[in-house]
Amino acid sequence: MRTQGTWIVAGVRWRSVQALWLRHAVALKRIWKVATTWYLVEPAFALVAVGFGIGRLVDEVEGGVRYSVFVAPGIIMASAMIHAIFECSWGVFYRITGGFYETVLTAPVTVTELALGDLTWAATRAVLTTISVGSVAIAFGWVTSPWAVGILLAALLVGMEIGAIGLIFAALSPNTHTLSLVFTVVATPLYFFSGSFFPIAVLPDVLEPLAWALPLTPGVHIAQGFARGELRLTHLWSALYMIGLTAVILPIAIRLLKRRLVT
Amino acid sequence: MIRGRDIVKRFGPTTAVDGVTFDVMKGETYGLLGPNGAGKTTLMRLLSALSPLSSGGLVVAGLDVTRQGRAVRERLGVVTQQDGLDTDLTVRQNLETHGYFSGLSRRESRRRAAEVLAFFGLSDRAHDDIDHLSGGMKRRLAIARAFMMAPDVIILDEPTTGLDPQGRNLVWDKLAALKASGVTILMSTHYMEEAAALCDRIAIMHQGRILDEGTPDELIERHASVEVAQLRMVTDVKAEVQAALVAAGYAWREVGTMIHVAARDGQRPQVPPLEGVRVTYRPGNLEDVFLAVAGKGLGEE
Ligand SMILES: Nc1ncnc2c1ncn2[C@@H]1O[C@H](COP(=O)(O)OP(=O)(O)OP(=O)(O)O)[C@@H](O)[C@H]1O
Ligand SMILES: [Mg+2]
Repeated sequence: MRTQGTWIVAGVRWRSVQALWLRHAVALKRIWKVATTWYLVEPAFALVAVGFGIGRLVDEVEGGVRYSVFVAPGIIMASAMIHAIFECSWGVFYRITGGFYETVLTAPVTVTELALGDLTWAATRAVLTTISVGSVAIAFGWVTSPWAVGILLAALLVGMEIGAIGLIFAALSPNTHTLSLVFTVVATPLYFFSGSFFPIAVLPDVLEPLAWALPLTPGVHIAQGFARGELRLTHLWSALYMIGLTAVILPIAIRLLKRRLVT
Repeated sequence: MIRGRDIVKRFGPTTAVDGVTFDVMKGETYGLLGPNGAGKTTLMRLLSALSPLSSGGLVVAGLDVTRQGRAVRERLGVVTQQDGLDTDLTVRQNLETHGYFSGLSRRESRRRAAEVLAFFGLSDRAHDDIDHLSGGMKRRLAIARAFMMAPDVIILDEPTTGLDPQGRNLVWDKLAALKASGVTILMSTHYMEEAAALCDRIAIMHQGRILDEGTPDELIERHASVEVAQLRMVTDVKAEVQAALVAAGYAWREVGTMIHVAARDGQRPQVPPLEGVRVTYRPGNLEDVFLAVAGKGLGEE
């Protein structure tokens, strides 16, 4: 029995990436009942609380947009970010420390392929939660444009980029204490300062460029554009920024993972 | 099948493998014996192309591990010291995903997983969570996983550590069956009976080096006494016993709470009769070899 169905492009064996993705899908299917709470219920809570609660207090933002309409794409992207970061930091960390990735590497698989498999899965999770929370937002009438399918593209970019950041934490953390920094240092600031809950323009002038540089901000910007069906050139720049950031971070993450797994 | 030349592996200041040269023939079962930290796991990781050599040459199944790591891993079955099971999946899914990672189609993986589960007596646990298995069953599953691809060479790092005697016998049976089918096996173990029962040749490793190598019989002949007297002290007379042995000119060694006395000129050792000592006799075995060779290594430090 020899390896088959193996496309190797630029040293990456496609089967390995596919196999890890499939493994994640099988694992998700086993726990789909609990998983529904992460993919749908929890982010839907945020959507409902903020959309109805704060939406009642705030009249409108940014030239006549209802607050609930403004906030929905941001909350969806925040959920996409949480899924990607969680998968690639905690998920990968436990698969390394439990010895599972060592045994995967006894198959003809490389560390780069593991990283790519996890990244595609992070993007998948981002898309899945976007579909489920997005449906709720559509049901409430907070997202109406047919262009809104494009939010899935934003989720895909967020999943890859934030996933790559998560991989760095998984590769570097000696223990779960340092790993939990991923929430303090990445998830929480991104959740609040990426233009999800308020337009970045309301921040003090010094903080504004900083907020724009955060990796989730362009994702939220793109999602808002698609949600309202108003696409401008800035959305393209945002996409390129995210792709560029991913292209820089991923090779670093892979190098760090190699250092941890192939000693 | 495996050819290693002057293999060196350093981790910063520690040299875990320090100039190992050895060959394993096709169909042979080769055992690595050595105390904790001897470098067995490190050597096996180098062999499995999981870790780069610091220097030296290593060829497995005609492939260079440094340049053809992926191809080497296609031909190997590897059982790591840690089980490394996927705790998010069931028993059967663990095998299936490994098959799929290794290049089988999903249908082939499923078929092969069923075969392997039956072979290792795990069929009735196929749908169990990994966390619900006993330690011994997890070990069996970890070994089963390495058989998913029907490999030509299989590397087992302490395959039966943590198994009860029954589980150990089951694994020995399976390994013996594989050996009979011509699979090349390289294994490490801390159990002398295991090495004696399965291995055609044994290397005794200590501090990253192979101190001696040979068939079990050769090693016993070279390093162990034909017959060993085992003294168990019932009362606190150790000092007197040792003095008596020195006086009688016997070679002896303290092993835990016992004293082992070696034969002299091929004759059963005549232990001076002493109060509070129980004497039993047994033939020399691999344990004596191990203690003699690795013990000597320790003394040279
Ligand atoms: N990744 C690593 N980084 C640093 N040192 C290491 C690493 N892996 C192994 N070592 C060191 O290399 C030496 C050999 O370890 P190894 O695990 O190969 O021994 P072993 O013979 O398998 O022992 P055991 O019987 O306990 O499994 C030890 O001193 C160990 O501390
Ligand atoms: Mg070991």
